[in-house]
Amino acid sequence: MKIKKDEVGWLLLFIAPTLILFTLFFILPILFLLASSFTNWDGISAEFVGFENYVKLFNKKSFVRAITNNLYWCITAALITVPLGLIIALLLSHRSRGWKVFRTVLFVPQVVSSAAIAMLWAAVFNAEYGLLNFILDNIGLSDYKNHNWLGNVRTANAALIGFSLCYVGYFMVIMLAKTASISEDYYDAAKIDGASQIQKDFYITAPLIKSTFFLCIILAVIFNLRQFEYVYLMTAGGPANKTQVLVVYIWNELTVQRLGRGSAAGVIMIALGAMLLLLLRRILKSETYN
Amino acid sequence: MTKDYSLNFYSIFKWVIIISFVVYAVFPFLWLVLASLKTNAELLDNPFKLPKVFQFQNYSNAIQEAGLIQLIINSLVISTCATFLNILFASMCAFAIARHIFWWKNVLFLMITAGILVPLNALIIPYYAIINFLNLYDTRIGLILVYCAVGLPVSTFILTEFFKGIPKEIEEASYLDGCNFVARYFRIMLPLALPGLATAGTFQFILCWNEFIYAMLLTSSTEIRTIQFGISYFTNEFFSDYVGMFAAVVVSILPSITVFILFQERVITGLTAGSVKG
Repeated sequence: MKIKKDEVGWLLLFIAPTLILFTLFFILPILFLLASSFTNWDGISAEFVGFENYVKLFNKKSFVRAITNNLYWCITAALITVPLGLIIALLLSHRSRGWKVFRTVLFVPQVVSSAAIAMLWAAVFNAEYGLLNFILDNIGLSDYKNHNWLGNVRTANAALIGFSLCYVGYFMVIMLAKTASISEDYYDAAKIDGASQIQKDFYITAPLIKSTFFLCIILAVIFNLRQFEYVYLMTAGGPANKTQVLVVYIWNELTVQRLGRGSAAGVIMIALGAMLLLLLRRILKSETYN
Repeated sequence: MTKDYSLNFYSIFKWVIIISFVVYAVFPFLWLVLASLKTNAELLDNPFKLPKVFQFQNYSNAIQEAGLIQLIINSLVISTCATFLNILFASMCAFAIARHIFWWKNVLFLMITAGILVPLNALIIPYYAIINFLNLYDTRIGLILVYCAVGLPVSTFILTEFFKGIPKEIEEASYLDGCNFVARYFRIMLPLALPGLATAGTFQFILCWNEFIYAMLLTSSTEIRTIQFGISYFTNEFFSDYVGMFAAVVVSILPSITVFILFQERVITGLTAGSVKG
Protein backbone atom coordinates (compact mmCIF):
# COMPACT_ATOMS: atom_id res chain seq x y z
CA MET A 1 0.00 0.00 0.00
CA LYS A 2 1.26 3.46 -0.85
CA ILE A 3 1.73 5.72 2.11
CA LYS A 4 -0.48 8.77 2.50
CA LYS A 5 1.49 11.90 3.36
CA ASP A 6 -0.11 12.22 6.77
CA GLU A 7 0.70 8.62 7.67
CA VAL A 8 4.47 8.83 7.26
CA GLY A 9 4.77 9.82 10.90
CA TRP A 10 2.91 6.69 12.02
CA LEU A 11 5.00 4.51 9.79
CA LEU A 12 8.22 5.83 11.30
CA LEU A 13 6.78 5.49 14.79
CA PHE A 14 5.94 1.83 14.13
CA ILE A 15 9.43 1.06 12.90
CA ALA A 16 11.20 3.11 15.58
CA PRO A 17 11.16 0.70 18.57
CA THR A 18 12.57 -2.20 16.57
CA LEU A 19 15.11 -0.01 14.83
CA ILE A 20 16.28 1.61 18.07
CA LEU A 21 16.67 -1.71 19.88
CA PHE A 22 18.36 -3.23 16.84
CA THR A 23 20.84 -0.37 16.72
CA LEU A 24 21.44 -0.55 20.46
CA PHE A 25 21.89 -4.31 20.69
CA PHE A 26 23.20 -5.35 17.28
CA ILE A 27 24.90 -2.55 15.36
CA LEU A 28 26.39 -0.62 18.25
CA PRO A 29 27.79 -3.69 20.09
CA ILE A 30 29.51 -4.95 16.94
CA LEU A 31 31.17 -1.58 16.32
CA PHE A 32 32.00 -1.33 20.01
CA LEU A 33 33.51 -4.83 19.99
CA LEU A 34 35.66 -3.99 16.99
CA ALA A 35 36.86 -0.73 18.52
CA SER A 36 37.68 -2.12 21.94
CA SER A 37 39.51 -5.10 20.45
CA PHE A 38 42.36 -2.72 19.53
CA THR A 39 42.70 -1.38 23.07
CA ASN A 40 43.86 -2.67 26.42
CA TRP A 41 40.55 -1.68 28.03
CA ASP A 42 40.18 -3.04 31.56
CA GLY A 43 36.89 -1.46 32.56
CA ILE A 44 38.51 1.74 33.78
CA SER A 45 40.95 3.02 31.16
CA ALA A 46 41.67 2.12 27.59
CA GLU A 47 44.67 2.77 25.39
CA PHE A 48 45.14 1.97 21.74
CA VAL A 49 47.42 -1.03 21.35
CA GLY A 50 46.98 -1.95 17.69
CA PHE A 51 46.91 -5.64 16.91
CA GLU A 52 48.55 -6.70 20.17
CA ASN A 53 45.42 -8.47 21.46
CA TYR A 54 45.09 -10.52 18.31
CA VAL A 55 48.76 -11.49 18.25
CA LYS A 56 48.63 -12.51 21.93
CA LEU A 57 45.46 -14.54 21.42
CA PHE A 58 46.85 -16.56 18.55
CA ASN A 59 49.96 -17.29 20.57
CA LYS A 60 47.87 -18.63 23.44
CA LYS A 61 47.50 -22.39 23.32
CA SER A 62 44.18 -22.32 25.19
CA PHE A 63 42.68 -19.92 22.66
CA VAL A 64 43.71 -21.98 19.66
CA ARG A 65 42.32 -25.01 21.47
CA ALA A 66 39.02 -23.12 21.94
CA ILE A 67 38.77 -22.52 18.19
CA THR A 68 39.59 -26.16 17.39
CA ASN A 69 37.04 -27.37 19.91
CA ASN A 70 34.35 -25.13 18.45
CA LEU A 71 35.18 -26.61 15.06
CA TYR A 72 34.88 -30.12 16.56
CA TRP A 73 31.43 -29.25 17.87
CA CYS A 74 30.41 -27.87 14.47
CA ILE A 75 31.81 -30.80 12.50
CA THR A 76 30.24 -33.40 14.78
CA ALA A 77 26.87 -31.69 14.46
CA ALA A 78 27.14 -31.32 10.68
CA LEU A 79 28.50 -34.78 9.92
CA ILE A 80 26.81 -36.92 12.59
CA THR A 81 23.87 -35.25 14.30
CA VAL A 82 22.21 -33.82 11.19
CA PRO A 83 22.62 -36.97 9.03
CA LEU A 84 21.23 -39.06 11.91
CA GLY A 85 18.35 -36.61 12.05
CA LEU A 86 17.81 -37.19 8.34
CA ILE A 87 17.70 -40.96 8.79
CA ILE A 88 15.19 -40.73 11.62
CA ALA A 89 13.13 -38.21 9.63
CA LEU A 90 13.05 -40.64 6.68
CA LEU A 91 11.97 -43.48 8.94
CA LEU A 92 9.25 -41.44 10.63
CA SER A 93 8.10 -40.07 7.28
CA HIS A 94 6.36 -43.41 6.67
CA ARG A 95 3.93 -42.09 9.23
CA SER A 96 3.46 -45.56 10.64
CA ARG A 97 1.52 -45.93 13.85
CA GLY A 98 2.70 -43.77 16.71
CA TRP A 99 5.07 -41.59 14.68
CA LYS A 100 3.79 -38.45 16.40
CA VAL A 101 4.65 -39.84 19.81
CA PHE A 102 8.23 -40.56 18.72
CA ARG A 103 8.54 -37.13 17.19
CA THR A 104 7.34 -35.49 20.39
CA VAL A 105 9.61 -37.57 22.60
CA LEU A 106 12.69 -36.92 20.47
CA PHE A 107 11.96 -33.20 20.56
CA VAL A 108 11.96 -33.01 24.37
CA PRO A 109 15.67 -32.08 24.80
CA GLN A 110 15.08 -29.04 22.59
CA VAL A 111 12.35 -27.72 24.91
CA VAL A 112 14.31 -28.11 28.15
CA SER A 113 16.88 -25.42 28.90
CA SER A 114 20.56 -26.06 28.22
CA ALA A 115 21.34 -25.33 31.85
CA ALA A 116 19.05 -28.13 33.04
CA ILE A 117 20.33 -30.53 30.38
CA ALA A 118 23.88 -29.76 31.49
CA MET A 119 23.02 -30.66 35.10
CA LEU A 120 21.25 -33.80 33.96
CA TRP A 121 24.14 -35.08 31.88
CA ALA A 122 26.71 -34.04 34.45
CA ALA A 123 24.85 -36.42 36.77
CA VAL A 124 24.88 -39.15 34.12
CA PHE A 125 28.66 -38.77 33.72
CA ASN A 126 29.37 -38.49 37.45
CA ALA A 127 32.07 -40.81 38.77
CA GLU A 128 30.42 -41.78 42.08
CA TYR A 129 26.74 -42.17 41.28
CA GLY A 130 26.58 -41.65 37.51
CA LEU A 131 24.28 -43.67 35.30
CA LEU A 132 26.88 -44.26 32.61
CA ASN A 133 29.47 -45.93 34.83
CA PHE A 134 26.78 -48.05 36.41
CA ILE A 135 25.60 -49.32 33.04
CA LEU A 136 29.15 -49.95 31.82
CA ASP A 137 29.96 -51.79 35.04
CA ASN A 138 26.91 -54.00 34.63
CA ILE A 139 27.69 -54.97 31.06
CA GLY A 140 31.14 -56.07 32.14
CA LEU A 141 33.28 -53.02 31.38
CA SER A 142 34.38 -52.65 34.97
CA ASP A 143 37.53 -50.68 34.06
CA TYR A 144 35.27 -47.67 34.06
CA LYS A 145 33.92 -48.28 37.53
CA ASN A 146 35.03 -44.96 38.98
CA HIS A 147 35.98 -43.20 35.80
CA ASN A 148 35.44 -39.44 35.96
CA TRP A 149 34.31 -38.76 32.41
CA LEU A 150 34.24 -34.98 32.59
CA GLY A 151 37.33 -34.65 34.75
CA ASN A 152 39.61 -36.83 32.66
CA VAL A 153 41.76 -35.20 30.01
CA ARG A 154 41.19 -38.04 27.58
CA THR A 155 37.42 -38.39 27.81
CA ALA A 156 36.10 -34.92 28.73
CA ASN A 157 35.73 -33.61 25.19
CA ALA A 158 34.35 -36.85 23.80
CA ALA A 159 31.77 -37.04 26.59
CA LEU A 160 30.64 -33.45 26.03
CA ILE A 161 30.38 -33.68 22.28
CA GLY A 162 28.93 -37.19 22.43
CA PHE A 163 25.96 -36.32 24.59
CA SER A 164 25.07 -33.42 22.29
CA LEU A 165 23.76 -36.07 19.89
CA CYS A 166 20.56 -35.96 21.93
CA TYR A 167 19.70 -32.82 19.90
CA VAL A 168 19.07 -34.98 16.87
CA GLY A 169 15.33 -34.43 17.41
CA TYR A 170 15.39 -30.77 16.46
CA PHE A 171 16.84 -31.33 13.01
CA MET A 172 14.71 -34.41 12.56
CA VAL A 173 11.54 -32.38 13.13
CA ILE A 174 12.56 -29.69 10.63
CA MET A 175 13.25 -32.29 7.93
CA LEU A 176 10.18 -34.34 8.83
CA ALA A 177 7.99 -31.26 8.38
CA LYS A 178 9.42 -30.86 4.90
CA THR A 179 8.54 -34.44 3.91
CA ALA A 180 4.86 -33.62 4.45
CA SER A 181 4.98 -31.34 1.40
CA ILE A 182 6.08 -34.11 -0.99
CA SER A 183 3.33 -35.13 -3.41
CA GLU A 184 1.94 -38.66 -3.03
CA ASP A 185 2.20 -39.09 -6.83
CA TYR A 186 5.92 -39.80 -6.62
CA TYR A 187 5.35 -42.67 -4.23
CA ASP A 188 2.46 -44.07 -6.26
CA ALA A 189 4.61 -44.05 -9.39
CA ALA A 190 7.46 -45.72 -7.53
CA LYS A 191 5.09 -48.35 -6.18
CA ILE A 192 3.98 -49.24 -9.70
CA ASP A 193 7.63 -49.57 -10.66
CA GLY A 194 8.05 -51.98 -7.77
CA ALA A 195 10.28 -49.85 -5.58
CA SER A 196 10.85 -51.06 -2.03
CA GLN A 197 10.42 -48.81 0.98
CA ILE A 198 14.15 -48.29 1.34
CA GLN A 199 14.40 -47.27 -2.32
CA LYS A 200 11.52 -44.84 -1.92
CA ASP A 201 13.20 -43.29 1.10
CA PHE A 202 16.61 -42.86 -0.45
CA TYR A 203 15.71 -42.12 -4.06
CA ILE A 204 12.58 -40.02 -3.62
CA THR A 205 12.25 -38.53 -0.16
CA ALA A 206 15.91 -37.82 0.58
CA PRO A 207 16.67 -35.88 -2.65
CA LEU A 208 13.45 -33.88 -2.29
CA ILE A 209 14.34 -32.60 1.18
CA LYS A 210 17.96 -31.87 0.28
CA SER A 211 17.61 -28.11 0.68
CA THR A 212 16.19 -28.55 4.18
CA PHE A 213 19.03 -30.90 5.02
CA PHE A 214 21.54 -28.21 4.01
CA LEU A 215 19.64 -25.65 6.03
CA CYS A 216 19.94 -27.93 9.06
CA ILE A 217 23.69 -28.15 8.56
CA ILE A 218 23.94 -24.37 8.52
CA LEU A 219 21.81 -24.13 11.67
CA ALA A 220 23.90 -26.80 13.38
CA VAL A 221 27.09 -24.88 12.66
CA ILE A 222 25.65 -21.58 13.93
CA PHE A 223 24.35 -23.21 17.14
CA ASN A 224 27.61 -24.93 17.90
CA LEU A 225 29.69 -21.83 17.37
CA ARG A 226 27.62 -20.21 20.13
CA GLN A 227 28.17 -23.19 22.42
CA PHE A 228 28.43 -22.02 26.03
CA GLU A 229 26.20 -23.57 28.69
CA TYR A 230 27.34 -27.18 28.45
CA VAL A 231 31.01 -26.41 28.58
CA TYR A 232 30.66 -23.71 31.21
CA LEU A 233 28.41 -25.73 33.53
CA MET A 234 29.87 -29.20 33.02
CA THR A 235 33.63 -28.66 32.77
CA ALA A 236 34.18 -24.87 32.79
CA GLY A 237 36.61 -25.44 29.93
CA GLY A 238 38.75 -27.85 31.95
CA PRO A 239 40.50 -30.16 32.62
CA ALA A 240 43.61 -28.23 31.56
CA ASN A 241 41.65 -26.20 28.97
CA LYS A 242 40.98 -29.41 27.10
CA THR A 243 37.30 -28.58 26.49
CA GLN A 244 37.69 -24.80 26.12
CA VAL A 245 35.37 -23.09 23.60
CA LEU A 246 35.28 -19.50 22.35
CA VAL A 247 32.39 -18.12 24.39
CA VAL A 248 33.73 -19.61 27.63
CA TYR A 249 37.10 -18.08 26.75
CA ILE A 250 35.49 -14.66 26.27
CA TRP A 251 33.60 -15.09 29.52
CA ASN A 252 36.84 -15.82 31.40
CA GLU A 253 38.50 -12.73 29.94
CA LEU A 254 35.46 -10.72 31.03
CA THR A 255 35.65 -11.97 34.61
CA VAL A 256 39.29 -10.90 34.92
CA GLN A 257 38.45 -7.53 33.32
CA ARG A 258 40.70 -8.08 30.30
CA LEU A 259 37.94 -6.56 28.20
CA GLY A 260 40.09 -5.55 25.23
CA ARG A 261 41.46 -9.08 24.86
CA GLY A 262 37.98 -10.56 25.25
CA SER A 263 36.65 -8.23 22.58
CA ALA A 264 39.33 -9.38 20.18
CA ALA A 265 38.26 -12.97 20.83
CA GLY A 266 34.67 -11.87 20.09
CA VAL A 267 35.71 -10.30 16.78
CA ILE A 268 37.53 -13.50 15.83
CA MET A 269 34.43 -15.52 16.72
CA ILE A 270 32.16 -13.38 14.53
CA ALA A 271 34.67 -13.52 11.67
CA LEU A 272 34.91 -17.29 12.04
CA GLY A 273 31.11 -17.54 11.92
CA ALA A 274 30.95 -15.43 8.77
CA MET A 275 33.69 -17.50 7.14
CA LEU A 276 32.00 -20.78 7.99
CA LEU A 277 28.69 -19.52 6.60
CA LEU A 278 30.27 -18.38 3.34
CA LEU A 279 32.18 -21.63 3.01
CA LEU A 280 29.05 -23.71 3.64
CA ARG A 281 27.03 -21.64 1.20
CA ARG A 282 29.63 -22.24 -1.43
CA ILE A 283 29.92 -26.00 -0.83
CA LEU A 284 26.18 -26.53 -0.54
CA LYS A 285 25.29 -24.34 -3.48
CA SER A 286 27.54 -26.23 -5.87
CA GLU A 287 26.01 -29.42 -4.48
CA THR A 288 22.49 -28.21 -5.21
CA TYR A 289 23.16 -27.41 -8.83
CA ASN A 290 25.08 -30.56 -9.67
CA MET B 1 9.25 -63.08 -1.60
CA THR B 2 12.68 -61.47 -1.50
CA LYS B 3 11.06 -58.06 -1.51
CA ASP B 4 8.98 -58.89 1.51
CA TYR B 5 12.05 -60.10 3.31
CA SER B 6 14.03 -56.92 2.69
CA LEU B 7 11.06 -54.88 3.81
CA ASN B 8 10.99 -56.74 7.09
CA PHE B 9 14.67 -56.27 7.59
CA TYR B 10 14.27 -52.57 6.92
CA SER B 11 11.44 -52.21 9.37
CA ILE B 12 13.44 -53.97 12.08
CA PHE B 13 16.30 -51.59 11.39
CA LYS B 14 13.83 -48.74 11.57
CA TRP B 15 12.49 -49.63 14.98
CA VAL B 16 15.94 -50.31 16.38
CA ILE B 17 17.11 -46.85 15.34
CA ILE B 18 14.01 -45.05 16.52
CA ILE B 19 13.77 -46.82 19.85
CA SER B 20 17.46 -46.41 20.61
CA PHE B 21 17.26 -42.66 20.09
CA VAL B 22 14.11 -42.41 22.14
CA VAL B 23 15.97 -44.19 24.93
CA TYR B 24 18.94 -41.85 24.47
CA ALA B 25 16.76 -38.75 24.67
CA VAL B 26 14.43 -39.79 27.47
CA PHE B 27 16.16 -42.37 29.63
CA PRO B 28 18.38 -39.83 31.46
CA PHE B 29 15.28 -37.81 32.37
CA LEU B 30 13.50 -40.85 33.76
CA TRP B 31 16.61 -41.84 35.69
CA LEU B 32 16.85 -38.33 37.15
CA VAL B 33 13.26 -38.54 38.38
CA LEU B 34 13.89 -41.98 39.87
CA ALA B 35 17.13 -40.87 41.53
CA SER B 36 15.47 -37.79 42.97
CA LEU B 37 13.12 -40.04 44.94
CA LYS B 38 15.89 -41.94 46.77
CA THR B 39 18.07 -41.21 49.75
CA ASN B 40 21.68 -40.20 49.13
CA ALA B 41 22.92 -43.49 50.57
CA GLU B 42 20.70 -45.47 48.21
CA LEU B 43 21.91 -43.44 45.25
CA LEU B 44 25.60 -44.00 46.00
CA ASP B 45 25.01 -47.66 46.70
CA ASN B 46 23.21 -48.45 43.47
CA PRO B 47 22.20 -45.58 41.15
CA PHE B 48 19.57 -47.62 39.42
CA LYS B 49 17.70 -49.63 42.05
CA LEU B 50 14.19 -48.58 43.00
CA PRO B 51 14.16 -46.83 46.39
CA LYS B 52 12.75 -48.69 49.42
CA VAL B 53 10.49 -45.77 50.24
CA PHE B 54 9.83 -42.97 47.76
CA GLN B 55 11.38 -39.89 49.36
CA PHE B 56 8.89 -37.24 48.32
CA GLN B 57 10.21 -34.90 50.99
CA ASN B 58 13.29 -34.45 48.77
CA TYR B 59 11.06 -32.23 46.69
CA SER B 60 9.69 -30.07 49.49
CA ASN B 61 13.23 -29.72 50.85
CA ALA B 62 14.61 -28.79 47.44
CA ILE B 63 11.89 -26.25 46.75
CA GLN B 64 12.64 -24.52 50.06
CA GLU B 65 16.41 -24.87 49.96
CA ALA B 66 16.82 -23.40 46.48
CA GLY B 67 13.91 -20.94 46.69
CA LEU B 68 12.54 -22.50 43.52
CA ILE B 69 9.16 -20.76 43.70
CA GLN B 70 10.80 -17.33 43.66
CA LEU B 71 13.11 -18.35 40.81
CA ILE B 72 10.21 -19.61 38.71
CA ILE B 73 8.13 -16.49 39.37
CA ASN B 74 11.08 -14.29 38.37
CA SER B 75 11.51 -16.23 35.15
CA LEU B 76 7.80 -16.02 34.40
CA VAL B 77 7.65 -12.26 34.94
CA ILE B 78 10.78 -11.53 32.89
CA SER B 79 9.90 -13.91 30.04
CA THR B 80 6.30 -12.69 29.81
CA CYS B 81 7.24 -9.00 29.72
CA ALA B 82 10.05 -9.58 27.22
CA THR B 83 7.80 -11.67 24.97
CA PHE B 84 5.00 -9.11 25.08
CA LEU B 85 7.30 -6.22 24.18
CA ASN B 86 9.10 -8.26 21.55
CA ILE B 87 5.91 -9.30 19.78
CA LEU B 88 4.45 -5.79 20.02
CA PHE B 89 7.54 -4.13 18.51
CA ALA B 90 8.20 -6.84 15.94
CA SER B 91 4.59 -6.90 14.75
CA MET B 92 4.52 -3.11 14.43
CA CYS B 93 7.68 -3.19 12.36
CA ALA B 94 6.50 -6.20 10.35
CA PHE B 95 3.19 -4.43 9.62
CA ALA B 96 5.05 -1.40 8.32
CA ILE B 97 7.32 -3.53 6.14
CA ALA B 98 4.83 -6.09 4.85
CA ARG B 99 1.99 -3.74 4.03
CA HIS B 100 3.52 -0.48 2.88
CA ILE B 101 5.73 0.75 0.12
CA PHE B 102 8.71 2.92 0.97
CA TRP B 103 12.04 2.89 -0.76
CA TRP B 104 14.23 1.65 2.12
CA LYS B 105 12.01 -1.17 3.31
CA ASN B 106 14.00 -3.98 1.71
CA VAL B 107 17.24 -2.64 3.15
CA LEU B 108 15.60 -2.46 6.56
CA PHE B 109 14.21 -5.98 6.35
CA LEU B 110 17.49 -7.46 5.15
CA MET B 111 19.46 -5.69 7.83
CA ILE B 112 17.18 -6.87 10.64
CA THR B 113 16.97 -10.46 9.45
CA ALA B 114 20.73 -10.61 8.97
CA GLY B 115 20.79 -10.25 12.76
CA ILE B 116 19.58 -13.87 12.97
CA LEU B 117 22.98 -15.03 11.79
CA VAL B 118 25.09 -13.02 14.22
CA PRO B 119 26.55 -15.29 16.94
CA LEU B 120 25.32 -13.03 19.73
CA ASN B 121 27.30 -14.71 22.48
CA ALA B 122 30.36 -13.04 21.01
CA LEU B 123 28.89 -9.73 22.15
CA ILE B 124 28.73 -10.32 25.89
CA ILE B 125 31.38 -7.69 26.63
CA PRO B 126 29.60 -4.87 24.76
CA TYR B 127 26.25 -5.93 26.25
CA TYR B 128 27.74 -5.75 29.71
CA ALA B 129 29.12 -2.30 28.98
CA ILE B 130 25.90 -0.99 27.41
CA ILE B 131 23.67 -2.24 30.22
CA ASN B 132 26.02 -0.71 32.78
CA PHE B 133 26.08 2.53 30.82
CA LEU B 134 22.26 2.63 30.86
CA ASN B 135 22.41 2.00 34.62
CA LEU B 136 20.36 -1.16 34.21
CA TYR B 137 22.79 -3.70 35.65
CA ASP B 138 21.06 -6.14 38.01
CA THR B 139 17.56 -4.89 37.14
CA ARG B 140 14.63 -6.77 35.65
CA ILE B 141 14.21 -4.01 33.07
CA GLY B 142 17.74 -4.51 31.78
CA LEU B 143 17.23 -8.22 31.27
CA ILE B 144 13.79 -7.71 29.70
CA LEU B 145 15.25 -5.18 27.28
CA VAL B 146 18.06 -7.51 26.21
CA TYR B 147 15.73 -10.51 25.82
CA CYS B 148 13.29 -8.43 23.82
CA ALA B 149 16.07 -7.13 21.57
CA VAL B 150 17.91 -10.38 20.83
CA GLY B 151 14.65 -12.00 19.67
CA LEU B 152 13.65 -9.15 17.35
CA PRO B 153 15.28 -10.44 14.13
CA VAL B 154 13.55 -13.83 14.33
CA SER B 155 10.17 -12.39 15.37
CA THR B 156 10.28 -9.68 12.71
CA PHE B 157 11.15 -12.28 10.11
CA ILE B 158 8.38 -14.74 11.11
CA LEU B 159 5.75 -11.99 11.37
CA THR B 160 6.66 -10.19 8.14
CA GLU B 161 6.42 -13.46 6.21
CA PHE B 162 3.13 -14.23 7.93
CA PHE B 163 1.64 -10.77 7.28
CA LYS B 164 2.59 -11.01 3.61
CA GLY B 165 0.49 -14.16 3.36
CA ILE B 166 -2.70 -12.50 4.60
CA PRO B 167 -4.97 -11.32 1.73
CA LYS B 168 -4.85 -7.57 1.23
CA GLU B 169 -8.53 -7.06 0.30
CA ILE B 170 -9.97 -6.53 3.77
CA GLU B 171 -7.30 -4.03 4.62
CA GLU B 172 -7.71 -2.16 1.35
CA ALA B 173 -11.46 -1.93 1.86
CA SER B 174 -11.00 -0.52 5.32
CA TYR B 175 -8.38 1.87 3.94
CA LEU B 176 -10.91 3.23 1.45
CA ASP B 177 -13.48 3.53 4.22
CA GLY B 178 -11.07 5.86 5.96
CA CYS B 179 -9.58 3.51 8.52
CA ASN B 180 -6.27 5.05 9.59
CA PHE B 181 -2.84 3.47 10.03
CA VAL B 182 -3.13 2.58 13.71
CA ALA B 183 -6.66 1.24 13.38
CA ARG B 184 -5.66 -0.95 10.45
CA TYR B 185 -2.91 -2.45 12.58
CA PHE B 186 -5.01 -3.05 15.69
CA ARG B 187 -8.40 -3.83 14.20
CA ILE B 188 -7.55 -5.62 10.97
CA MET B 189 -4.02 -6.97 11.03
CA LEU B 190 -3.60 -8.26 14.57
CA PRO B 191 -6.87 -10.27 14.70
CA LEU B 192 -6.09 -11.87 11.33
CA ALA B 193 -2.52 -12.63 12.33
CA LEU B 194 -3.24 -14.38 15.63
CA PRO B 195 -1.72 -17.74 14.58
CA GLY B 196 1.46 -15.99 13.42
CA LEU B 197 1.64 -13.99 16.64
CA ALA B 198 1.24 -17.20 18.62
CA THR B 199 4.03 -18.93 16.69
CA ALA B 200 6.46 -16.04 17.08
CA GLY B 201 5.37 -15.58 20.70
CA THR B 202 6.00 -19.22 21.55
CA PHE B 203 9.46 -19.07 20.03
CA GLN B 204 10.29 -15.90 21.90
CA PHE B 205 8.91 -17.13 25.22
CA ILE B 206 10.89 -20.36 25.14
CA LEU B 207 14.00 -18.43 24.14
CA CYS B 208 13.58 -16.15 27.17
CA TRP B 209 12.62 -18.93 29.56
CA ASN B 210 15.65 -21.05 28.67
CA GLU B 211 18.18 -18.23 28.40
CA PHE B 212 21.24 -18.55 30.61
CA ILE B 213 24.26 -16.46 29.64
CA TYR B 214 22.71 -12.98 29.72
CA ALA B 215 20.98 -13.75 33.01
CA MET B 216 24.39 -14.61 34.45
CA LEU B 217 26.02 -11.61 32.78
CA LEU B 218 23.50 -8.94 33.72
CA THR B 219 22.07 -9.86 37.12
CA SER B 220 23.62 -10.71 40.47
CA SER B 221 21.08 -10.39 43.28
CA THR B 222 18.95 -13.35 44.35
CA GLU B 223 15.67 -11.39 44.27
CA ILE B 224 15.59 -11.16 40.49
CA ARG B 225 17.54 -14.31 39.60
CA THR B 226 15.92 -16.46 36.91
CA ILE B 227 15.44 -20.20 37.20
CA GLN B 228 18.09 -21.07 34.60
CA PHE B 229 20.76 -19.00 36.30
CA GLY B 230 19.55 -20.40 39.62
CA ILE B 231 20.27 -23.93 38.38
CA SER B 232 23.98 -23.14 38.20
CA TYR B 233 23.97 -22.54 41.96
CA PHE B 234 22.46 -25.94 42.73
CA THR B 235 25.85 -27.68 42.91
CA ASN B 236 26.94 -25.30 45.67
CA GLU B 237 23.62 -25.00 47.45
CA PHE B 238 23.09 -28.72 47.72
CA PHE B 239 26.77 -29.61 47.99
CA SER B 240 26.67 -33.33 48.78
CA ASP B 241 22.88 -33.62 48.88
CA TYR B 242 22.71 -35.10 45.39
CA VAL B 243 19.11 -36.25 45.55
CA GLY B 244 18.03 -32.78 46.66
CA MET B 245 19.82 -31.31 43.67
CA PHE B 246 18.17 -33.82 41.36
CA ALA B 247 14.76 -32.92 42.76
CA ALA B 248 15.49 -29.24 42.15
CA VAL B 249 16.52 -29.94 38.56
CA VAL B 250 13.34 -31.98 38.01
CA VAL B 251 11.18 -29.13 39.37
CA SER B 252 12.95 -26.63 37.13
CA ILE B 253 12.38 -28.81 34.07
CA LEU B 254 8.74 -29.50 34.87
CA PRO B 255 7.19 -26.23 33.62
CA SER B 256 8.81 -26.56 30.18
CA ILE B 257 7.80 -30.18 29.76
CA THR B 258 4.22 -29.53 30.90
CA VAL B 259 3.78 -26.63 28.51
CA PHE B 260 5.32 -28.69 25.72
CA ILE B 261 3.00 -31.65 26.28
CA LEU B 262 -0.06 -29.37 26.41
CA PHE B 263 0.78 -27.34 23.32
CA GLN B 264 2.95 -29.76 21.32
CA GLU B 265 2.02 -28.63 17.84
CA ARG B 266 2.31 -24.95 18.65
CA VAL B 267 5.69 -25.39 20.35
CA ILE B 268 7.10 -27.50 17.53
CA THR B 269 5.99 -25.02 14.84
CA GLY B 270 7.17 -22.15 17.01
CA LEU B 271 10.63 -23.56 17.61
CA THR B 272 11.21 -24.59 14.01
CA ALA B 273 9.66 -21.49 12.43
CA GLY B 274 12.84 -19.46 12.79
CA SER B 275 14.52 -21.91 10.47
CA VAL B 276 12.34 -21.35 7.43
CA LYS B 277 15.12 -19.52 5.69
CA GLY B 278 18.87 -19.51 6.27
